[in-house]
Amino acid sequence: MGDFFSALADIFSSPTMYGSAVRLGGFIAFAALGELVAEKAGTINISVEGSLLAGAFLGAIGYDLTGSTPLGLMTGIVGGLLVALIQANMSHRLTADQFVVGLTANILVLGLAGFLNGILDPATRRASVLEIPVLSDIPLIGPALFGQTWPTYLLYPLIPLTWWLLYRTRWGLEVRAVGENPQASDVSGIDVNKRRRQAIYYGGMLAGLGGGFLVLGQVGSFDTAAVGGRGFIAIAAVYFGSWTLFGTLLGALVFGFADAFRLAVPVLGYKLNAQMLAALPYVLTLVVMYAITKRFRQPAALAQPFVRGLR
Amino acid sequence: MIDAGTEPDADAHLLNRRWRSAAEMTLLYVLSIGGALLISAVLVAITGNSWQKVFGALLDGAFRAPGRWGNTLTVAAPMLLVALGMVIGVKAGLFNIGQEGQLLMGAMAMAFVGTKMDGPGAILVLGGLALGMAAGGAYAFVAALMRFRRGVPEVISTLLLVFIAFQIIGFAVTTDWVLRDLDPNRPSRAVTSAALPDDVHLPVVRAFGNEFPIGVIFALALAVFVAYFLARTVWGFRFRLLGHNPRVAQKTGIAAIRTGSTALFLSGAFAGLAGAVMLSGGSSGYRLTTGFSTNIGWQGLLVALLARGRPLVCIPMAILFASLRTGAGFLASTGVDRRIVDVVQALLVLALLMPPAIAFIRDRRRALASSEEG
Amino acid sequence: MARLGGTNGDASVLLELRGMTKRFGDVVACDDVDLTLRQGEIHGILGENGAGKSTLMKMVIGLALPDKGTLYIDGERCRVTDPLQAAARGIGMVHQHYSLVDALTVWENVALGEKGGLDKESTRQRVISISERYGLDVDPDARVGELTAGVRQRVEIIKCLRHGPRILILDEPTSVLTSTESEHLFEVLGEGVRGEGWAVALVSHKLDEILQATDRITIMRDGRVVQRVMTADAEAASLARAMVGRPVTLRSGSAAIGAVSDSDLVAAARHASEDGAPVLEIEDASLIAEDGEVLLDGLSLQVHPGEIVGVAGVEGNGQTPLSRMLSSLLRLDGGRVIVAGNEVPSGVAGAMAEAGIAVIPADRHHSGCVLEMSVAENLILSRLSEVEDRGVLRRDEIRARATKLIEEFDIHTPGPDTPLGQLSGGNQQRVVLARALSDRPKVLVAAQPTRGLDVGAIEYIGERLRAAADDGIGVLLLSTDLGEIAALADRIVVMFRGRIIGEMTRAELDLERLGLLIGGSSEAETAA
Repeated sequence: MGDFFSALADIFSSPTMYGSAVRLGGFIAFAALGELVAEKAGTINISVEGSLLAGAFLGAIGYDLTGSTPLGLMTGIVGGLLVALIQANMSHRLTADQFVVGLTANILVLGLAGFLNGILDPATRRASVLEIPVLSDIPLIGPALFGQTWPTYLLYPLIPLTWWLLYRTRWGLEVRAVGENPQASDVSGIDVNKRRRQAIYYGGMLAGLGGGFLVLGQVGSFDTAAVGGRGFIAIAAVYFGSWTLFGTLLGALVFGFADAFRLAVPVLGYKLNAQMLAALPYVLTLVVMYAITKRFRQPAALAQPFVRGLR
Repeated sequence: MIDAGTEPDADAHLLNRRWRSAAEMTLLYVLSIGGALLISAVLVAITGNSWQKVFGALLDGAFRAPGRWGNTLTVAAPMLLVALGMVIGVKAGLFNIGQEGQLLMGAMAMAFVGTKMDGPGAILVLGGLALGMAAGGAYAFVAALMRFRRGVPEVISTLLLVFIAFQIIGFAVTTDWVLRDLDPNRPSRAVTSAALPDDVHLPVVRAFGNEFPIGVIFALALAVFVAYFLARTVWGFRFRLLGHNPRVAQKTGIAAIRTGSTALFLSGAFAGLAGAVMLSGGSSGYRLTTGFSTNIGWQGLLVALLARGRPLVCIPMAILFASLRTGAGFLASTGVDRRIVDVVQALLVLALLMPPAIAFIRDRRRALASSEEG
Repeated sequence: MARLGGTNGDASVLLELRGMTKRFGDVVACDDVDLTLRQGEIHGILGENGAGKSTLMKMVIGLALPDKGTLYIDGERCRVTDPLQAAARGIGMVHQHYSLVDALTVWENVALGEKGGLDKESTRQRVISISERYGLDVDPDARVGELTAGVRQRVEIIKCLRHGPRILILDEPTSVLTSTESEHLFEVLGEGVRGEGWAVALVSHKLDEILQATDRITIMRDGRVVQRVMTADAEAASLARAMVGRPVTLRSGSAAIGAVSDSDLVAAARHASEDGAPVLEIEDASLIAEDGEVLLDGLSLQVHPGEIVGVAGVEGNGQTPLSRMLSSLLRLDGGRVIVAGNEVPSGVAGAMAEAGIAVIPADRHHSGCVLEMSVAENLILSRLSEVEDRGVLRRDEIRARATKLIEEFDIHTPGPDTPLGQLSGGNQQRVVLARALSDRPKVLVAAQPTRGLDVGAIEYIGERLRAAADDGIGVLLLSTDLGEIAALADRIVVMFRGRIIGEMTRAELDLERLGLLIGGSSEAETAA
């Protein structure tokens, strides 16, 4: 255990740790921002995992075909959106159970990505690092936040954009309303399930972009195991943040740190149990959810389907 | 307003409508399953293979080739067990989707009993199965604690526990003092537990040139038992009451925390049993490995969802899913990646979800009609 | 039947409906209904629950599409397919109390369901100006969930007026209001009608308010218009007959349509024994919600065997938490509950039922019945231990018990195995009642037991409650309907903000004083 604490001190003063925390947390943050919007509208969008993977795979394919990172990221968005289309239309047009649909969509994507990856085997490369002058010179957090590959920076404008959408537009007002009280929203003339579908689309696109970022901005290559449950951590980040934008981001960053810690430990020469480290983000998520969930109010109609006349 | 239905006209009308809706449902099922198969066929065709060949290979692998249907049943048994556990949870309103992890815990308990304890084989098998159930149940119980003490949705906690289970198994089979195989002559350098000794294997049933472990019979018997349990016993009634209306349950003395935790425990116990049955039935050579669960947990979950909570319907669904898996073993000859089977499965699930969802909307509209206040 | 309105080319006609018909499956909700709304008039649409009033209004507002019939606005033929379109045409509807989102602020709620960009400042200004103009006092930045029922109603009205409608539809607007608030509402409507030339449709099942507030009345029954009269020529007894389709005799039935006077009440006063020990005592009960809202605030009351204690009060003053607490659904933060001398822990599954408290909840779908289970299962679910044999349910016993109760309580169902969800609301309520009474409780709590039912069912439930009290059960009747309370209760207490603020026996009943108490005036003020 002594090892563990000296490792902690060492690791938390290591600049690489902060860099990788932002990369890993950033990946989760893309998905979590979108998931926040979907949950605000009343859906626990389990298929965010599938959207991430689809985004990663189609991002890789897009890059392989065009050789362009921006185009690859765009095909990634399309991939995330495709999964969201399945999720949204099956759960909020046909009223199939949202968890069943989400799980199945995840399995479908995993199967398809594995199957097609074997055939197409896309070649990819990591985008170049873009150091933002001045800002990247701040010690510790400077390089972490502003010394990353350029797709990382796409996250930054998405934060105010998502905030603005949720809290300053009519669309966002309606999204929040349908997540709180679908019956009242319906009576007020809002197409509840349409808003919910749109919120899922938004979530899917952001997750798709996150998947693209994973392949093109972080790892540099595609692997079917690359997402490996991080979508679920994105969901946990939303819980962590108790459905606030800032809290969600903080959650993503905390999980990013946990992930980075796992990677940093062996690099710095410490011997800690590998499985324990790998389980750390998940354990942390559970502990945090246990500590936090009851204290905050979730959207009142979260995970409740809406059919007119049925409560 | 519901009339007692005494008028012959009304009866005829109702009957007519039932026929029509049955016909509609059949058509919907045919269309959606056909659609799923069509997409699968297109995928196969894109890769330059013939879907007829693929279909033939799947059938051979699942049933036609010698000894294959026994294999299919062997795979179906743990899926069925997982599905039965899922059904119990769903009836009580609890959506346990962590079976993959609970199954691993059950298998680990079996491995522990089988490789680390001494005693007569039969006792060890039974002890291993029992401990497997307890381990799977206890693992699910963590989610129950989180749900009933702090309101953490079990959908998310059970899911996260799966990823932790992977690591626990990884730890167990790579750590000497836990389960790692210490035999220097172990078959490969892969990390596994020691194999279960011969006397700690489930007895094998041989019939018509096929063989399968007796676990298959257990699973079928349990399906019948679970159906009876849920429909006819007091505990089953309590689970259903809790699942349909937890407030009425609380009012009449069925505490969610106790009954729900029991349901979630049972749900996990079935997955744990599935893991124990797999290991003692010969999966991966009677050895616990890191990839031991091979998605049986996820697929059992889907089986339950497709059976829409009916334990007996889980039986054909489990056989269908198992046959896709065993059939996939024969795909190599056609040159098609066996992962196509995962895609077909998921597409089938989506297809099978559709007709009831459509019917629900239709029924809802009708029900709304007759209960609409004016 | 003479048609009073409905002339083409009459400029005062703002809205005309002709031959509106709507079927839901085999049920005809509206059958060839004609209706005319004129400028400067309040038009009462009177009918029982289920008469087709709300469906008719939903078709006007675009929430339901007619199967047949035409709608003319300003003499022009129109098709309205959604509420926004209706708003654009100048039609606004004030819903009962379910179009507001608690988590949003007043201004956000008012903005909900509009089109175009979201402009906080201008929306707030509009809220303020409308609220000043019509005397609808409300803070635009308050969170709706924190407002009382009366203020929420104001928000509903502002939400409706924001579109500047000329045609206003109010669906049972007074069900959540105190009498003072109702009067204020009718004043606002009267001003709008006179000052701005609105046409108002007031949908209600209450004779008294229809007579008080309207200029013209259309009575509906079973989806059809059965009578049209000018209010000045109308007379309560004949309206009641037209609305129900037969003379209304029973007191609870008359109460249901607001046809009760003070003198009736006193004459019918009953003398329940208040001697001896109370069967239910609630002492100083307090309950605080997770968000800090005080739900019960030192509430104390007693119920004796054989008496009906009516708890009067406007919705949202703690009735629901009280009934849920007595169903073991909520745990008290202070105080205690004593049944027949024994203290009962709150919030412990089944403890209240075990002690002898049966509850008919206001929302039967919430904690009254299980729609997905069969009628028989619903009837026996509280007595499982009596129908099992070593853990296995005895199906013949369940069936026998269910069949007996179905007969005894005259429940209309195809059979005991029919899912409860397939029964009508009235029959579901009978199932809830049958189970509650078959538990042989010491205390029966009935919260809004007749809401949404037709007069026949209301009469039936009233009789049953009376009979239960006569059998020595202590009955606690929670109702927002003064008529219902006045018709049934032996003793009346008034609940306001989670406390009991006044009490009177049947003999002392004074509707005016009761009305003031319900509005929150303290005992001292009203006595003066």
